[in-house]
Amino acid sequence: MKRRSPLLMVFGTIVTIVVFALFAMMTWSAIKGNDGKPLTTLEPQGPFAQDIQGLVIPVFAIAGVVFIGVMGVVLFIAFRFRDRGDEETADEIPKQLHGKTWAELTWTIIPAVVLLVIGIATVTTLATLNAPAEANALHIKVEGQQWWWKFSYDNSNAAVGNGSFTDPEDVATADELVIPVGREIELSETSNDVIHSFWIPALNGKKDAVPGMITDWKLQADAPGVYRGQCTEFCGLSHGNMRMLVRAIPEDQFAVWMKNQQLPAKVPAAGSKEAAGETQFKGLLCASCHLIRGVNDAQVGSPDKGVKTQLVSGVAPDLTHFATRGTFAGAIFNSHYPNPTDGPTANQPFGQTCTVKGSSGTSDILGNKVDEKDLPACPQANQFDAFGIPYASAPGNPNNPPDKVALADWLRDPTKMKPMAPLPEENPYAGGRRRGMPNLKLTEEQIDQLVAYLNSLS
Amino acid sequence: MTDILPAKLEPAGALALPSGASAPTVAPLGVFGRPKTKTGWRSWVSTVDHKKIGIMYGTAAMVFLMIGGAEALLIRAQLWAPRQHLLSAEAYNQVYTMHGTTMIFLVVMPIGAAFANYLMPLQIGARDVAFPRINAFSFWCFVFGGLFLNSSWLLGGGADGGWFMYAPNSGVLYSPGHGIDFWNLGLIIAGIASLTGAINLIVTVLNLRAPGMSLMKMPIFTWMTLVTQFLLLFAIPVITCAQFLLLFDRQFQANFFNVSQGANPLLWEHLFWVFGHPEVYLMILPAFGLVSDMLPVFSRKPIFGYPFIVFSGVAIGFMGWGVWAHHMFVSGIGPVSVTVFSLTTMFIAVPTGVKILNWTATMWGGKLRFNAPMLFCIGLITMFTIGGLSGVTHSVAPADTQQTDTYYIVAHFHYVLFGGAFFGFIGGFYFYWPKVFGYMLSDKMGKWNFWLMLLGFNLTFGPMHILGLQGMSRRVYTYDANYGFEIWNKVATIGAFTLAASILLFIVNIFVSYAKSKKMEKPGPDPWDARTIEWMIPSPTPEYNFDPIPTVTQLDDFWYRKYGETEDGRLVRIAKTEDVTQPEHEAHVHLPSPSYWPIVTAFGLPVAAYGLIFSMWLALIGGLIVVAGIYGWATEHPDDPDAAHDVDHGPDGGHASGDDHDAVHDADAGDGDADSATDDEKEVAPVG
Repeated sequence: MKRRSPLLMVFGTIVTIVVFALFAMMTWSAIKGNDGKPLTTLEPQGPFAQDIQGLVIPVFAIAGVVFIGVMGVVLFIAFRFRDRGDEETADEIPKQLHGKTWAELTWTIIPAVVLLVIGIATVTTLATLNAPAEANALHIKVEGQQWWWKFSYDNSNAAVGNGSFTDPEDVATADELVIPVGREIELSETSNDVIHSFWIPALNGKKDAVPGMITDWKLQADAPGVYRGQCTEFCGLSHGNMRMLVRAIPEDQFAVWMKNQQLPAKVPAAGSKEAAGETQFKGLLCASCHLIRGVNDAQVGSPDKGVKTQLVSGVAPDLTHFATRGTFAGAIFNSHYPNPTDGPTANQPFGQTCTVKGSSGTSDILGNKVDEKDLPACPQANQFDAFGIPYASAPGNPNNPPDKVALADWLRDPTKMKPMAPLPEENPYAGGRRRGMPNLKLTEEQIDQLVAYLNSLS
Repeated sequence: MTDILPAKLEPAGALALPSGASAPTVAPLGVFGRPKTKTGWRSWVSTVDHKKIGIMYGTAAMVFLMIGGAEALLIRAQLWAPRQHLLSAEAYNQVYTMHGTTMIFLVVMPIGAAFANYLMPLQIGARDVAFPRINAFSFWCFVFGGLFLNSSWLLGGGADGGWFMYAPNSGVLYSPGHGIDFWNLGLIIAGIASLTGAINLIVTVLNLRAPGMSLMKMPIFTWMTLVTQFLLLFAIPVITCAQFLLLFDRQFQANFFNVSQGANPLLWEHLFWVFGHPEVYLMILPAFGLVSDMLPVFSRKPIFGYPFIVFSGVAIGFMGWGVWAHHMFVSGIGPVSVTVFSLTTMFIAVPTGVKILNWTATMWGGKLRFNAPMLFCIGLITMFTIGGLSGVTHSVAPADTQQTDTYYIVAHFHYVLFGGAFFGFIGGFYFYWPKVFGYMLSDKMGKWNFWLMLLGFNLTFGPMHILGLQGMSRRVYTYDANYGFEIWNKVATIGAFTLAASILLFIVNIFVSYAKSKKMEKPGPDPWDARTIEWMIPSPTPEYNFDPIPTVTQLDDFWYRKYGETEDGRLVRIAKTEDVTQPEHEAHVHLPSPSYWPIVTAFGLPVAAYGLIFSMWLALIGGLIVVAGIYGWATEHPDDPDAAHDVDHGPDGGHASGDDHDAVHDADAGDGDADSATDDEKEVAPVG
């Protein structure tokens, strides 16, 4: 009756070995393989993330021990008590043991005790993480909307702020949260449309931004650097393209940065290309949604033509200091080249379509196939390198040239670069409002002027 | 109920009715003649036989598995490399939403229902479920709900809000297409299936057990079915209410989830997860039941700690209601809620752990046979352990703030639902195939199937743990090259296709084994030397199930009919299998009569649902079909007066048992049968 298939035994053994090897490699990857993984949760860079890590490590260790124990026992039993198919014991029937109360009580109580210990540690850590913010914490309002983040700083009082984010000295920025190193940051999160989730893994866990609610969260970075994040609550079409980053900089640099942010937008020299760009900006639809302080404040706020009637979320990124940021469009494209050696030289042709090389051919950034093989590659979305994305703490950034190609492409047709729902006529329920930036069908000249203007807004 | 006469006092005769009621003489509504045929497609659409319905549940679930599996492969193909463009963002969001929805509502739940329908009445020695026509209605609601849901692909695209469908993203403002309407209405219809099925199966377990089978002598699968159906009974109304709110919002501009009108979107989250977490347990418990019944057979030992296994299942059922907000640790529910739900979630691991250790102890000291079902059982024990442990790691709320909505969670629940539920179900298929279809699936192919599935499963979902811990979000349609996600995504995609191959191998096995079975000996009633009473009856199960209905004296009753102790306490075989199984014979057992009305009534629901989306006139027609169906159903006699009736085939213990009738029948005339609920009181003393 009993016929063993050697091939099957070999296959079973191989599978067992492969699975164990896989788990060994996974463990190795979790412990040692975090380099070049900007979103890893396993290398905390601030006290809150560190507190979480302080729970994660022992809990994973306990889980690992239990896992190895159960596997070992099951494999041992499978080997030890297998039916060997011996003739002489063929009629023997194992003892019909219905249970042993002491054993069952033991393995009910022991896990309960272990979990109690984990539970106590959890409750203590929760208390630490939920403690009220420190007195000198920087208070920032975080607003999520499809598909970017707005950050408003409460600056009214140099030390703690007054709880309002709309005073003249308060500033708002997009995609990039600039914070001082070593100081606690108190976040008040909310959303202007659907639920989003704010998550900078290196600095803390995530917290949902819920429309109609304010949720509190904290961040703190121990060292200067760029810490990346990703919206983690599914928020519709371009959820995958909703990113953010935190730039932690020393306090003195932060003060310089803040002082610059508080200034109204730079006025371009009369007659320059930048000045032409400003005129374009004011004349085009741009000025109904995007605020450039000192340029179009009234228009954005207008109840008839302003951002509230144009957009479902009622807010578009503030561009007053656009050129001080390293990324745009939900932090998925670079507005500067990361390295001084990168980027266009004077003779690079301006304004052409770029391509993304994927494993299934060449496409534009949205995934539509394109044939032109000789076009330059698009700027890598969310390029990351050891130096981080450049930023300008003070006006001007000579070391990192602006990425004009990416910005021009964006202006040429944003919907091609990032899936959005910008056409009001596609949605009868939106009351003529958009979600995302539409294709304004700009001429190459307009694009050229706008790019020049935006890159001058340092 | 008045005038209950014991069945044995009835006049016996070919045309005798089971009660004193006179037969209605005209066909209700004059639409259909009473279905008579026992073969052909008509017999399937009109059947009220729990076995045929069980088979149809299983078949439909396998078809939906192919659809959900194809969606899974699309997801994995898209994520093979960074910035792939196989699917657009729009298409990806639809595919992942429909993958989750299909796998949960149209695959795992119905496979559980398939086993519950086919197996549970056999395990308790019943002729059918308590309400056979409602059973048929449940099945057709599920099929029509599933087809309706999937028809969205042809009518403008699938739902794109994720299976959890959080408000306000699910509102018309953010999802103006019809996908979410299809999702919403399709699941409301499928919910009717679950709810009516739950009531039916609960009544069946409580009322129709064979004489002597007290609750604590029920096979564990039956116990877990009972717990599962109670979970459904209370969980489905919650999601259905939430879905009606969404329906009103989307169709009639109500403001339940309109934030600008003061709504709080967390309302949906709470309602969804109050359903959604018990949902997880009701998907996994049937598989736990199957494993608890299969392990003893292949270990040749009874289940270790039957009461612990049963009560841990019941405890999971209860505690499952107190953990829902662990899906919402980061949603802003406040620190006290987070703390409480964190602790309750941790402690639900205790009864779950008890099950795993009791299964392990069942194997200890046994004489293990590694047939395909046994391999799948061991696969479940080990793989579910991983899923359970990763569950504990994110019951720790602070850790969960890093892990939630990342691939770590995707890994976790696939280890629970695939490594747990699905391994158990596939094992159950191999185990019960001969009982259902009368031929064995090839054990050798089954073993290949197991190892290939184990490999593919771990390659697919193992790496997702690391992807999640290293920061890959769920539900993103693509990722960038410089995040370090490429390698593990590639492994996962290779794994997914391996997994698909293993499912394919299972299907090949069905056909190859069928072809070979014609030349092979029939497996007989008891091919595995099994322990529970469903193995007493011929394979495939005859239409009447048991004849006579056995009197149960103890747990594993059938095994103790085969084995006993000698005077010196040694266990020996005391009877040949042929002597204790029931021979196949032509029996004129009175069975519930088939009916067209369940399918007609169920058919009205998707028509009405299409109407709600496209035209209110169609909704009216759908509503009229439902009303006509209910009228025809209500006026049709549950038993065809022209069908053959014979002497009552009572239990072998000699007292009347529950013959099975529709509730309608019970209501419209004093049913002649003794209510078998009383069997609990007249419990026969154990003899073994």
